[in-house]
Amino acid sequence: MFDFNLSMPTNADPNTLYDLIIIGGGPAGLTAGLYAARYKLKTLMLEKAVISGGQLTATEWVENYPGFPEPILGQKLAKDMESQAKQFGLEIINESVIDVDLAGSIKKIVTDYSTWQAKSVLIATGSASRKLGVPGEKENAGRGVSYCATCDGPFYPDKIVAVIGGGNSAFEESIFLAKYASKVVIIHRSDDYRADKIIQDKVMANPKIELMPGYAVQSIEFANSDDKHLVLVEQGTGAEISFPADGVFIFIGHVPNTKLFEEKIELEAGYIVTDRRHFTNVEGVWAAGDVEAKSLRQVATAVGDGACAAFWINKYIEDWTEN
Amino acid sequence: MPILDDKTKTEVTKILGTMIKPVTLKLFTQPFECGYCKDTHELLEEIVELNPLLKLEVVQFDQDTDVVAEFGIDKIPAIAVIGDRDYGIRFYGIPAGYEFSSLLSAVLMVSTGVHKLTDQAKKFLDNLAKPVHLQVFVTPTCPYCPPAVIMAHQMAFYSDKVKADMVEVSEFPHIGNKYSVQGVPRTVVNEKWFMEGAAPEQMLIDKIKESL
Ligand SMILES: Cc1cc2nc3c(=O)[nH]c(=O)nc-3n(C[C@H](O)[C@H](O)[C@H](O)COP(=O)(O)OP(=O)(O)OC[C@H]3O[C@@H](n4cnc5c(N)ncnc54)[C@H](O)[C@@H]3O)c2cc1C
Repeated sequence: MFDFNLSMPTNADPNTLYDLIIIGGGPAGLTAGLYAARYKLKTLMLEKAVISGGQLTATEWVENYPGFPEPILGQKLAKDMESQAKQFGLEIINESVIDVDLAGSIKKIVTDYSTWQAKSVLIATGSASRKLGVPGEKENAGRGVSYCATCDGPFYPDKIVAVIGGGNSAFEESIFLAKYASKVVIIHRSDDYRADKIIQDKVMANPKIELMPGYAVQSIEFANSDDKHLVLVEQGTGAEISFPADGVFIFIGHVPNTKLFEEKIELEAGYIVTDRRHFTNVEGVWAAGDVEAKSLRQVATAVGDGACAAFWINKYIEDWTEN
Repeated sequence: MPILDDKTKTEVTKILGTMIKPVTLKLFTQPFECGYCKDTHELLEEIVELNPLLKLEVVQFDQDTDVVAEFGIDKIPAIAVIGDRDYGIRFYGIPAGYEFSSLLSAVLMVSTGVHKLTDQAKKFLDNLAKPVHLQVFVTPTCPYCPPAVIMAHQMAFYSDKVKADMVEVSEFPHIGNKYSVQGVPRTVVNEKWFMEGAAPEQMLIDKIKESL
């Protein structure tokens, strides 16, 4: 009945020279950690959250990760990925990386508490929710504006919620929200939805979910708790309407977590440029998962990236010499 | 049926292996009108089995009114994590889901004395003149919540002036309403100041400054 999600840091020593430091403990980092630990590389993972799993922990059901014919809870998959990697000896420290020195043969990774050193680095910092950037969004974050349905869905029993977006996340999380809310309305700029057909069908079949194509959010007006609404603009005519909603969940894609690497690593629209070995343009530095410039950002691709990167990192460590 | 499965128990045993000083979990409970009291009680009984340095003390909320008042408990189930003394670390509601990590973190901190506050934070807390009450509202399925809880508990551990509560909001919806909690984590500072999300240490300090 109860679930207990345990994730506690290990006691790593900052004086160790690691073979590999993995920045970020989402699916990509955890898979690379699993492989690296099995290659017997001395590996440390730095994850800023208390819990590994990255975006998986903010996802309700994952239906398209192979091997699980029944949908699996994102939080469960995350926990299992972590315990599997730890079983093989991956060390995880819950610290946030705030600076990196990647230039020399020994890389220095600075967190808010220590400086860690390694022969190679894998960047698996993934991505964060993209903001709409409209008035009222920032002011009401956590007060009606949310980016995490599994976190905040239960606050809307029998309420009306708006979901912004047209992709898989918007559609899937709407189904979760419909468990609580009386009505979920998916608002999207056009009627061209990117969500997989199978999820679209499920949404259509859900009597609590409505689609409202052709509208863009102009502002979020939640200041007056008796009159919470969104101002929407009809695409084409430009007509403004007021749309009453108790909460709004925003799923309009992601921005890569690459601020740390600007001007240190080659980026493309913010994403890290890699080759087929997941090698970046900096010697001894790899990237895997959502943070990479690539076409499909999913759990299945993230784990593949992580495994492949670990394979090439292992080869690199075999030939590594200090200079 | 035990609350914790064997695998989790093995993991908890390993984690508690680093304990140094004894810790008492004081549970405030009552046999009626409390949705999660029984489960919380069972959970704590199972945990204290896993390390001899860990002890459980049960306080009847409806009867032991002196103890209830002494520890400032106003809702149940409640857990006070006590070491050499009472640091003001509280859990209201069952620490299940991701909050299980927050509970074990609090136990380890009280037992080992190790926390992660920066020098700036310590300096700020050393100079606190007035009391500070932090209430961190969470849900068990919120992965962003434990950092906020752990941060608040660290401040309570370090400073006698600070009290810090985890509040599992789905068990106390009226309190959630009172503080207009619509997203988690939400930290309420001295009743009237609010902070959304698992914000960095400095942001919480700034909020506390504002509230004083
Ligand atoms: C709501 C939602 C639903 C989804 N549903 C599905 C689905 O059904 N199927 C599917 O295949 N995919 C789904 N996805 C996408 C999938 O979750 C991602 O593609 C996948 O998690 C990417 O993995 P990653 O390891 O590259 O990055 P992430 O999962 O983003 O993990 C990155 C990690 O790095 C950490 N980090 C970032 N910066 C730092 C730093 N400076 N220091 C330390 N740590 C840092 C973060 O805390 C995070 O844990 C969904 C995503 C969302 C948001």
